[in-house]
Amino acid sequence: MRSLSKKLYDWINDRVHLDDLVEFMGKKYVPINSHSVWYYFGGISLFLFIIQVITGILLLLYYKGSEDLAFESIHFIMAKVQFGWLIRSIHSWAANLFILAAFIHMFSVYFTKAYRKPREITWLTGMVMLLLGFGFGFSGYLLPWNELAFFATKVGTDIAGVVPVIGKPILVFLRGGEDVTGATLSRFFGLHVAVFPGIFTVLLATHLLLVQRQGMSEPLELANNPAHVRKTMPFFPNFLLRDLLFWLIVLNILAILAVFFPWELGKKADAFASAPAGIKPEWYFLFMFQTLKYIPAHVLFIDGEVLGVLLFGIGGLLWILVPFWDKKSSRGERNLIVNYFGIGVVIYMLLLTILGWLT
Amino acid sequence: MKYGTKILTAFFFLSIPCAIAASPKNPDQCFVCHEGMGDKPSSLYKSDVHKLNGISCSGCHGGDASKEDQDDAMKKSIGFIGVPHGDEISTLCGSCHADSVKMRQYNSKLPTHQMNLLAASVHGKNAIKGGQHIVQCTTCHNSHGIVSVKNPKSPVHPLRVTQTCTQCHANAAYMRLYNPSLPVDQLDKYRTSVHGLRNAQGDAKAAVCSSCHSGHDIQPAGSAKSHVNAANIPETCAKCHASADYMKEYKIPTDQYEKFTKSVHGVALLQKHDLSAPACNDCHGNHGAVPPGVESISKVCGSCHALNADLFSASPHKKAFDENKFPECETCHGNHGIMTATVTMLGVDSTAVCSKCHTEQKSVKGYRVAQEMRLLIDSLTNDQKRALGIVEEAEQKGMEIGEAKFKLRDAHQARLESRTMVHSFNKEKFDEVIAKGLNVTSFVALEAQRAVEEYFFRRWGLGIATLIITILAVSLYAYIRRLENK
Repeated sequence: MRSLSKKLYDWINDRVHLDDLVEFMGKKYVPINSHSVWYYFGGISLFLFIIQVITGILLLLYYKGSEDLAFESIHFIMAKVQFGWLIRSIHSWAANLFILAAFIHMFSVYFTKAYRKPREITWLTGMVMLLLGFGFGFSGYLLPWNELAFFATKVGTDIAGVVPVIGKPILVFLRGGEDVTGATLSRFFGLHVAVFPGIFTVLLATHLLLVQRQGMSEPLELANNPAHVRKTMPFFPNFLLRDLLFWLIVLNILAILAVFFPWELGKKADAFASAPAGIKPEWYFLFMFQTLKYIPAHVLFIDGEVLGVLLFGIGGLLWILVPFWDKKSSRGERNLIVNYFGIGVVIYMLLLTILGWLT
Repeated sequence: MKYGTKILTAFFFLSIPCAIAASPKNPDQCFVCHEGMGDKPSSLYKSDVHKLNGISCSGCHGGDASKEDQDDAMKKSIGFIGVPHGDEISTLCGSCHADSVKMRQYNSKLPTHQMNLLAASVHGKNAIKGGQHIVQCTTCHNSHGIVSVKNPKSPVHPLRVTQTCTQCHANAAYMRLYNPSLPVDQLDKYRTSVHGLRNAQGDAKAAVCSSCHSGHDIQPAGSAKSHVNAANIPETCAKCHASADYMKEYKIPTDQYEKFTKSVHGVALLQKHDLSAPACNDCHGNHGAVPPGVESISKVCGSCHALNADLFSASPHKKAFDENKFPECETCHGNHGIMTATVTMLGVDSTAVCSKCHTEQKSVKGYRVAQEMRLLIDSLTNDQKRALGIVEEAEQKGMEIGEAKFKLRDAHQARLESRTMVHSFNKEKFDEVIAKGLNVTSFVALEAQRAVEEYFFRRWGLGIATLIITILAVSLYAYIRRLENK
């Protein structure tokens, strides 16, 4: 068995010089410190994304992206296709876990200031991937064409529509018209399975390439320690095996969630029905949704909803551009303002999400 | 003699009785003159209830009845109206009849809201030539010979009111102007009804138009306010038919209304407000109301329950019922107190209607068929419940079983169909329907059972997968520890 794998390795090595890659990976080290556990959440996000791609492709074999057939095709997948229920349930749960893992990854990078020079591009690609993750979630939510998804999309696109000047064209572009119809479903389907994955793959490749090229960032307080004090572990196989261990744990969690809490299909969307009571967006949009509910209808001369959307836009932009305004961290100095800002954001998001969940 | 001389001579002779009567003891100069002239209005007015109560012509026509001179009595300046026209008539009547103070002066016990009722009625709303309403008080009550409603001479007395109403309502050309879809044969039908026949014999207690439609408050039958609206008809009929005192002399039961309100039809109509449910008139007719005869009961019931009636007519029971003069549907289901038919009516036990005629000793074949039919319908019911139980168990376990559950409707449909098919009293046809239902229930039960098994398969699958993944993770962890301890 061992000789067979050796022969296979040699065969490939003759052609693509695998030795160079193994040598590179063998020389690659990952820092060990009290924050090392956060390093694995990037890998977990990657693993969940891979699951999304595989289960998504399997769902595509049966899914029909039209107003008349979408709901029925998902019903067919769940009721008739062998293990269809499991594939759909894993796809839905993995989507949520992906966003959760990406959030944790983002905040760990933020608080360890791993975005600082020279990793600005890695941070930016990561942030755009997170936004694309929201896009995946928002577009994928509508695809079963059920009642909740229909009205949540209506509310979500309505919010996009309040953005001054460009809001209305964005709304019409997203919906494929004035209202949420079969045209919206076709658009969301196209975005979900073609446009977003295409862009995401390019960004992911860049992100991973940069991580490999630049290595793992170390927290500020440890980065200035002399080389002999710093602890490291080889990327291959130690770190990779630990990554694999986390992936197995996540896979187990995912399997339990998918079997014990199968994702429901609900009722088919009916444009003429009244919206069900207490309609809410997915949990990762809940803090924004709840905030908009608290903002008064008019603040001075500005419409409350417009103000909310503008504030989120400015706040999001400020967050994304943190590597460019946090010069101190790039110089290796502590910047407590960034920490307080981050803690404020985390508390705010948690609090509003809980409030949104409970009300 | 010239024409003018003739008129002068006539006035001369006419003025003699006027002058004789013009004494302080008899102040109603209008009546004195007009009676002397021998005109019809004054002749009719002699027996008019108003005249008898001391109301002079001027009460309606205006003027001064105490003036001997015609010109003085009929001056417009003192309020002489002459002959009132159109809505002026009802307004004049209402000036007293809608005024309770004035009416009290005459010790009248008449209600004073007739004007309001008339104004809100179909007659009060329909206008002619864009202004005047089609019915004035005088249209039904006459103008000069008005007598009490209780007086047989009154056009609205029970024995005369049908002719009064049909002056318009039997006139197709006239009715076409207002409501072309309204039939004009009500009187013809009425004359064939029990009410009409009794009325023709001089029975003033028998129902007439106004008994059901009311006098002044007449609304279109489609209006919820109408006394003859489907939802109000049982109460309207019950005014007479539920009164033991009123119906005493007719020797017919008076519990129909009470029974009807508790019946399946009554509950549907009066409690669930289902206007498609039958009211009294749907079985008895309205203007031509009679109790349906023995031979026509299945036709009456069959006007709604068509399939049951057809099956019954083609069944062997039809001949037997006819020979024994059994009222068809009524024999098993009853009439006014008809309840929801349940399977307990079928079979041979004490609650079953079949056992009234079929026993182990008499009509044995029917006895066996009834027994078997009941067993089959019970087994379908039980199988349906069992299948539903497994479906619910699968649903409770979170399994997708919508299609099988939907299919279960076919079993329910077959059970309903089998209840209809009972009326064929044909075992083979009944078996076919039951078999259809049993096939569905066994299919659904099988599908649901598979779903339940699939649930356990998933649990086991998860257990095994989790175990494998956990072993892999633990092994990996051990390998990493070994690797890093080297």
